[in-house]
Amino acid sequence: MSESFKLAPVLMLLTVLGLFLLVGLASRTRKGEYYLVSGRSIGRMGIGAAIASNWMSAASFLGIAGIFYLQGYLALAYVIGWTGGYVLLLILLARQIRRFGKYTAPEFVEARYESHLARFLSALITIFITLIYCVAQYKGIGLVFAWIFGLDYIPALFFGCAVVVSYLVLSGSLGASRNPQLQYGLIIVCFLLPLMAIAGKLGFFWPLPQFGYGRALQEIAAADGGSLFASPWANATPYQWAALCFTLMVGTAGLPHVLSRFYTVPNVRDARWSVVWGIFFIGLLYWSAPAYGTFARWCEMNGGGFAATAEAAPIADLVAIKAAEWAGIPDWLVGVVAVGAIMAAFSTVTGLLITGAGAVSYDIYYRLLNPKATERQRMKVAKGATLVLALIVLAAAMKPPGMIAEITAIAFALAGNTLFPVFLLGIWWDRTNRQGAVAGMLTGIAITLAGVGASLWWPELAFWLPATASAFIGAPLVLLVMVIVSLATAPPPEHLRRFLADDVHQP
Amino acid sequence: MTDTKASSPPPSSEGAPRINLFRPRSGFARKEVLLIWAMLAGWGGGIYGFQALLVLLQRQSDGAGPLTETGLFGFPLHYWYTGQFLIVWFIVLCILFNLLADRIMVAARRQKQRGEEQ
Repeated sequence: MSESFKLAPVLMLLTVLGLFLLVGLASRTRKGEYYLVSGRSIGRMGIGAAIASNWMSAASFLGIAGIFYLQGYLALAYVIGWTGGYVLLLILLARQIRRFGKYTAPEFVEARYESHLARFLSALITIFITLIYCVAQYKGIGLVFAWIFGLDYIPALFFGCAVVVSYLVLSGSLGASRNPQLQYGLIIVCFLLPLMAIAGKLGFFWPLPQFGYGRALQEIAAADGGSLFASPWANATPYQWAALCFTLMVGTAGLPHVLSRFYTVPNVRDARWSVVWGIFFIGLLYWSAPAYGTFARWCEMNGGGFAATAEAAPIADLVAIKAAEWAGIPDWLVGVVAVGAIMAAFSTVTGLLITGAGAVSYDIYYRLLNPKATERQRMKVAKGATLVLALIVLAAAMKPPGMIAEITAIAFALAGNTLFPVFLLGIWWDRTNRQGAVAGMLTGIAITLAGVGASLWWPELAFWLPATASAFIGAPLVLLVMVIVSLATAPPPEHLRRFLADDVHQP
Repeated sequence: MTDTKASSPPPSSEGAPRINLFRPRSGFARKEVLLIWAMLAGWGGGIYGFQALLVLLQRQSDGAGPLTETGLFGFPLHYWYTGQFLIVWFIVLCILFNLLADRIMVAARRQKQRGEEQ
């Protein structure tokens, strides 16, 4: 990819990172939780914006447009999976998890199952989810840095990684807190404003471009016979669509950093109602993402013709930026898309690295290896873990195993195969015991690995158990294993069952 | 915190489940579980019911059929439904769930208060 250095996006990026630091520094003395701004509660809408800010990553910002550009209707399985998962979370887990009162996934697992082994496994799973998720973000950062700075992918990846870690260290050492509402606001503006400009420039309905690109879609369908976007099963079978959608939904409901949001909400009702706002704010982006892919294809159609898959695949993850370039909107607006993508990836990576490092330093080092560790020792381990995790991710991202959305989906498959069943049965079946939880998580890890292995070496099996969609078969199987093993072994202690009945499930 | 008479679980010395999504206790728990099942039906039916219909009505293996040929708001119907309407449907489901959950919780708390006063 030969790109030139682009000054406007560089300046915008520096300004935005500086702004985040300044706002973070200004709010650090207020000791506010994430839902507090200026020392007062900003309510459910603000919590919803925090949920969306926590959620929106490079996979949302770049990945969905890219996968839609390449695979059409299959991308809608991502859209539905990543929004429908919140419905599942709300109706099955949000209230009860809030009432359970543990602040991380490993803490919940240990409290519910009273098992160090279960805690260790869930911490390990959390770390792996962090790593996989971060690889996808790093790919996004590498691609966009390559575009902004006119570098090749590998040097851009190293540069991007150095900026992420420096930003993390700087904001950490200065004690800057995150302002998720500001982050959400900036990210969504960076996504929607250029899209409106593209729609206007190409002659489509620009005030609400996410609902006005139907004509472009129909024109493309007429030109290519429907194989790009209009035919639902042109790029994937109904089974593949359904399996992917299901995996992303149960994965969403099992992701540690998503679940953690519900622990820090002031009360149960706020936790529930904030989800509605969260889905709306996330929906604003997901209604719009396919429009980028559509406009990119429309520009191709009216240029030299549709790009073949071999040409389209390498640029697919950058297609949101490419669509802006091809439409001919002003350069600074194209830069806004790039800066938005970097912000989305940065906020996710920094949040995930902190979660992963916390799992290493607290759940594994302090709780299992060295319970007498001082605060200073734990902090040292956390810092070291952040660096090691960042380096592992960097190494993996040098040769990314797929598109941004696909890599992210593997993290969801792992969460859906392991943590989701452990949470679901832990909350909704008081007979589930530690043996069941451990057996379930081990089975879930094995199924996730089998999916990855099948995708690499066994295409026939990969059809039924794809790496990105293994929880369709995996999650029900893990639930079954947990039920059988729990019934075959002694029931959990009476006080745990009573706690579930008397506290967690009380109105 | 103890349970009310109506929803008090039996002793679990025999390992009898008291929290079970398939066999809820009476009172608040039963109402909550019924609500959850109704919402799950709306959630699953909304997503997979429509995709199943798409398969059932297709004339070609790529899914082309009446649902892809009909247009709505400028989009093919199947695309509009899945890519745009379903997110609205999720928001509607969440609002419905919250309203109904608030209602049964308030009722359960009132009942509990009355039980304690008596």
